[in-house]
Amino acid sequence: MLFQILLAAEVAEKGGLFDFDATLPLIAIQFLLLVAVLNALFYEPVTRTMDSRSDYIRTTQAEAQERLDKVMALTRQYETEISQARLKAQQLIAEAEAAAARIRSEKLAVVQAELQGKLETARIQLEEEKQAALSQLQQQVDEIAAQILQKLLGSAR
Amino acid sequence: MNLSFFSHIFLAELEVGHHLYWHLGKFTVHGQVLITSWIAIALILTVVVLGTRQLQREPAGLQNFVEYALEFVQGIARAQIGEKNFRPWVPYVGTLFLFIFVSNWMGNLFPWKLIPLPEGELASPTNDINTTAGLALLTSGMYFVAGISKRGLGYFRKYIEPTPVLLPINVLEDFTKPLSLSFRLFGNILAEELVIAVLVLLVPLFIPVPVMILFLFTGAIQALIFSTLSAAYIGEALEGHGGGEHHD
Repeated sequence: MLFQILLAAEVAEKGGLFDFDATLPLIAIQFLLLVAVLNALFYEPVTRTMDSRSDYIRTTQAEAQERLDKVMALTRQYETEISQARLKAQQLIAEAEAAAARIRSEKLAVVQAELQGKLETARIQLEEEKQAALSQLQQQVDEIAAQILQKLLGSAR
Repeated sequence: MNLSFFSHIFLAELEVGHHLYWHLGKFTVHGQVLITSWIAIALILTVVVLGTRQLQREPAGLQNFVEYALEFVQGIARAQIGEKNFRPWVPYVGTLFLFIFVSNWMGNLFPWKLIPLPEGELASPTNDINTTAGLALLTSGMYFVAGISKRGLGYFRKYIEPTPVLLPINVLEDFTKPLSLSFRLFGNILAEELVIAVLVLLVPLFIPVPVMILFLFTGAIQALIFSTLSAAYIGEALEGHGGGEHHD
């Protein structure tokens, strides 16, 4: 109601809320000029700066990633080398142990064979001596038996 | 207290519909609107010039602010127009937002009443129908430009899609879009200023402050709505009406 009164008053004396005039095209032109000026001063350069920054970040990140990958690859390589060396060392130890065992058993065998031989010769010698002693004993027994027989037979005669 | 007396006070205090007329040849313009729009433009340009004086890869000071502003308006354009086509429209949509936002806030924050004019009063330039209608008609022009530059005369096929029966409604849309854009902004800003003026008239101290803060918020929202809708109209013209066969 207030507005109606107000509008009625305004229409009568030129003006009012819906008073279209040359302000409209002027504002539009002004605005387009502002768009052009801001495009040159603001949108273009700031967008370029931000794009170059994101490019820079992207390339730096890619480089860092590359370096990280290289480091990882080197680490892996060193790890495999270490494990290979460890394996080789274990093999060497095993070989040395095996060689030592072989040498020990060989020497043991030689010594055992030698001992066996000595034992054998001792046993043979013993046997021979035993045989000799036995035959000697037999002889003596025979002699004594003969003497006894002679004595017995002699006395009886 | 009778109504005519009351309305007389209001007319004296609010000065709705009073304009400072300047005559340019046989045309008249609203001087107060042009003055405040120049101030808004000058504000924007000052900040932009100060912020972009030394653009660096590692931003410092005001460069952070202008980059934030750019990212914000880029976000509006990207959300409505789509990743593929939004870049050429950032200046238009972004300037819409910046200009309307600065205008709305300027109208709310600066005590224009302290500067008397021979007729009318200084206020936000967006409280004049000429400003909002000018911007809305520019948006209409822009989405026609967008549609025709993208799809040639095939753009006008959208009027008979999906069926020619809808032709009148589709044509009507081209009139309702600028109409709703301009009246929404104009109505909101003018109503804000009227409400504040009435409140100040009734209770001069403290009571209007929360309402003023609310209107700072709605002023920002109106700027966002105007630029978002403009971007949406442009995006719609670029995409194709109804989104049928032009998805590649």
